[in-house]
Amino acid sequence: MQCAESLRVQARFDGELDALAAAEIERHLERCPECRALVEDLERARTLMRAAPLEAAPPALRARVSRLLDEEGAAERGRPRALERGNRTWRWPSFWSGAVAGVGAAACAAAVAWWFVFSAASPDGLLDDLIAAHVRSLMPAHLTDVVSTDRHTVKPWFAGHADVSPVVADFADQGYRLVGGRADYFEGHRAAAVVYEHGPHIINVFSWAGAQRGLPGRTTRNGYHMVFWRIGNVEYCAVSDTGWDELEGLVSRLRDLGARDARD
Amino acid sequence: MPHLDAAYRFARWLTRSGQEAEDVVQEALLRAFRAFDTLRGTDVKGWLLAIVRNCHATALRQQQRRGFVPLPSQEEADFGATALAAPPDPEGYSIAEQERRRLTTVLAGLGAEHREVLVLREMEDLSYREIAAVTQLPIGTVMSRLARARAALRASWLKDTSGEPRAVR
Repeated sequence: MQCAESLRVQARFDGELDALAAAEIERHLERCPECRALVEDLERARTLMRAAPLEAAPPALRARVSRLLDEEGAAERGRPRALERGNRTWRWPSFWSGAVAGVGAAACAAAVAWWFVFSAASPDGLLDDLIAAHVRSLMPAHLTDVVSTDRHTVKPWFAGHADVSPVVADFADQGYRLVGGRADYFEGHRAAAVVYEHGPHIINVFSWAGAQRGLPGRTTRNGYHMVFWRIGNVEYCAVSDTGWDELEGLVSRLRDLGARDARD
Repeated sequence: MPHLDAAYRFARWLTRSGQEAEDVVQEALLRAFRAFDTLRGTDVKGWLLAIVRNCHATALRQQQRRGFVPLPSQEEADFGATALAAPPDPEGYSIAEQERRRLTTVLAGLGAEHREVLVLREMEDLSYREIAAVTQLPIGTVMSRLARARAALRASWLKDTSGEPRAVR
């Protein structure tokens, strides 16, 4: 008899679950040996199937198809096909318009990134960035880069992935479970995001090397509560859809811990 | 030519024959070329693989209408002849190479519906949504079929390993 969660365990393995479901499955795995064995099987099968280099199409097939498409293209245009061979392996005219569209999209993305960097110069822009990062983290497979409930795993991971070494702790016994960490990028800084779970809610705690600015102590944006604080030169922001009390509960624990660390 | 390799690999797993795969891919690329203007969206690879799959299904129906229905064992033997040409010196192959060959045999022996989702997920790295688009299946079906396919792969692999003990030195 297979565990009822096996399909969701597989979906988690394939990176298809949203953050909440992924966190549920992580919790389920802790207490279900059958599903842990399933994950091992999935990993073994994947290793096996991805071990061999991907096969390429035979050169003869490539040449034949290329010639056929050339002829097809020439017939379609109703004129004799060009003679030179060198630079015409791919003749779909629309492919090039696609490529142009791709470049256009990249330019748009660059413009958006540019706008983000500069708009973030005001606290408003920063708040938007933080909300966007929080919402993005709730999308499938974006919750964590390093999954661990052990702060000794999460904290060192940031050394190579962010500009700051944030306060990390697991308060599972007090209802705030450490899920993992993630690197985020905004405002020209590599920011660290530590992910906690409180009941059904996800809390992202962002931290980055701070520049002085008029940050609010707490605010609400797009329905998400945000709490800001600072330890040394590191700025912190906790974002979640929990109630204020729950969010402040985690913040006060992190602040206490940070203050103690700074003294030691 | 973008995605020709992926199209060929997929066709090869569908047909289990190098020659048939080439025919299917050739037909598919011609169809794709003629229909390129109808492509909506940006997933060219998925779109092309879906055409490959349709071409294969058409070819299969034509073979059946002509009364040419290869026995599974015969098909596998054909596939083995091209993909797994018996090594002149089996000891000369590395363990990795032996595993790869065994995987090919095991995959070729799976049912077509299992093989295709496995290949799309693990080799072509398609998401459930993309696999659903290629195979014209609901996402839920993709999920459960993938689970069954993985279980079948595992069972078949274990059977193959235990049934045929190999000297590993």
